[in-house]
Amino acid sequence: MITVEGTVEHKAMGTGAWALVSDEGKTYELHKAPQDLKKSGLKVKVEGKVRDDVVTLAMIGPVLEVQSFNVLDDK
Amino acid sequence: MKKLFLSVLFVVGLMFALTTFKGLATQGTYQSIVMDFREDLGAAQIQQQVQTIAKQFNVTPKPNSEFSQADNIYIVEGDKKLLSQLRKSESKYTEFIEPNYVYKALGTPNDPEYSKQWNLRSINVEPAWEDTKGSGTTVAVIDTGVTQVTDLKETKFVPGYDFVNDKVDASDDNGHGTHVAGTIAQSTNNDYGVAGVAYEANIMPLKVLSAEGGGTVADIAEAIRFAADNGADVINMSLGGGGESQAMQEAIDYAYHKGVVIIAAAGNSNEDSASYPARYPRVIGVSALDSSGEKAFYSSYGAGVDISAPGGSTKEGEAGGILQQTINPETNAEYFGAFQGTSMAAPHVAGVAALIKASGVKDPEAVTEVLQKSARVIKDDALNYYGAGHLDANAAVKLAGKGNISIRDFFRWLRDNGYLNPRFWFDGGAVALIPKLLMVIGSYLLAWFLRVYWPFTWSWAFSGGLVAGSSGLFFLRGFYLFDLPQWPLRLLGSSLPELGSAVQGTAVLNPIFASVLIPFALLALFIGHPQLKGLAIGTTIGVAACLAVSAFTSPQLLWIGGGSAAQAFLLVNAGLCLGLAYLNVKGEKYA
Repeated sequence: MITVEGTVEHKAMGTGAWALVSDEGKTYELHKAPQDLKKSGLKVKVEGKVRDDVVTLAMIGPVLEVQSFNVLDDK
Repeated sequence: MKKLFLSVLFVVGLMFALTTFKGLATQGTYQSIVMDFREDLGAAQIQQQVQTIAKQFNVTPKPNSEFSQADNIYIVEGDKKLLSQLRKSESKYTEFIEPNYVYKALGTPNDPEYSKQWNLRSINVEPAWEDTKGSGTTVAVIDTGVTQVTDLKETKFVPGYDFVNDKVDASDDNGHGTHVAGTIAQSTNNDYGVAGVAYEANIMPLKVLSAEGGGTVADIAEAIRFAADNGADVINMSLGGGGESQAMQEAIDYAYHKGVVIIAAAGNSNEDSASYPARYPRVIGVSALDSSGEKAFYSSYGAGVDISAPGGSTKEGEAGGILQQTINPETNAEYFGAFQGTSMAAPHVAGVAALIKASGVKDPEAVTEVLQKSARVIKDDALNYYGAGHLDANAAVKLAGKGNISIRDFFRWLRDNGYLNPRFWFDGGAVALIPKLLMVIGSYLLAWFLRVYWPFTWSWAFSGGLVAGSSGLFFLRGFYLFDLPQWPLRLLGSSLPELGSAVQGTAVLNPIFASVLIPFALLALFIGHPQLKGLAIGTTIGVAACLAVSAFTSPQLLWIGGGSAAQAFLLVNAGLCLGLAYLNVKGEKYA
């Protein structure tokens, strides 16, 4: 289980995918993200698991299966 | 009487040749006529003439463009009838009157949105379609499923499977797989939508990715085995991620050993090294190019990238994307979507792999070699952005076809050497057609054999040598001109071995000419010359064919006579010629 802080982005790759770009600049592909998380520009802290056994059509980075998340204050 | 008969035959043949000759003219259609008035007439007289034409033929001659006035070029709408009428009445006022041909690029499909498919032009697929459109091959699309949208209605499908929901119907609920299948085999020349690379290939839809766009390694490994067991020739995997997996590796090896070519996208994280499965050694990893031929901004590169193909970039608008028909998963409505991604690049390679397989190269290792050798090499690619280079469909298909004696290849050779000219066939009967044909075909087969096993370049000089050595321009021998001696034509119409007796006009061969001597001398003289060397080798092969055929059809030699002695002489010399050609061609390989 890992925790990543960053910004939610929609990436136009193929039919598109939701990404979490960490504050360090690493891009994770969000897997099984709840609808509330799928908002571009949302600053969040996501707790989840990197799935090594999942492949995707977007191929934008490690697949982060979301367990829980908090929206962070944008201050 | 015989001369008269031959002359008539020749004239008929000539007329036939002229009327059926497909020059540029017969390829064009026209609805208007160009007239160029003489410059010395002066503006007033030209205007008067234009008005006369307008009145007489009820047409409105117009200057071609604002630049035409100076040249006095006018366009008149009209057909063949008007053309001949104008030529009759206006020839004294004009420099020329000719049809205004409408030129259309050959091989362009009629799909109305084809002009937006820069990607298909950049892989040079149009000339490849002259040879094959992928008929008879099957491409498995391991993806989100494939929905048979309108622009896939004419595309052939074979049964697939949905590994996500465990059912036979593998329809798409995301829109990705349908788009990818479109790049491979979108229905083409159907007056609708866009085109695909190998549009006569079969699509096998295999769904392993959910509507969200993710799937498990286990499902993918199963899908690979399903494809291999159900006759797929090529597998396309526009997907990636995760780590190395034993299950996937074994499935890939299994399919590879069954002869399946496996292609996967390099990944979209702009990282050094492709993602799995592209990274496995038996998988062809594909990086993405934008419309300018540069690596697309998102494409991964480095280890695992074997070749590059258009993946597009929609950063600066839809025109830079890859356009195919797909579905909107929310409404299930069809639309033409411009996508970007290495997902879009991989199916271009899968389509070309299908074209290569349809050209007769079946082994996955050989297909990979053809793809890589035919790719347009990019210099100074230190980070391996492009693998072997840019995908080139036409070069790949031509290279794949090289190892086959196909009817098409033979006819192309015949055409290039002028043997498809009707004159040839009309006059052939008068000069013992069958042995001549055997000599031509024999020299072609010998040259083909040498070309395949000892690759060298075919040049005009080489082809010319083949003809000169094997048969000469033999149709000329049936050609008689009044009052002129026939022997010069007979000379031109003779092959090298027949030259020794051509002037006398006997069928008996002169052993000095009908031997290895002249080819040997030619090679000795020209071996250092870049062009003439081709002529010398071509001649040697041609002479070999001519002597071998003569040995069986008319073994008659001056001084030696006929029978087995002449036959042996001819055969030995044919063998010597072939050996000589072999040695020289073999040498050229390393040149």
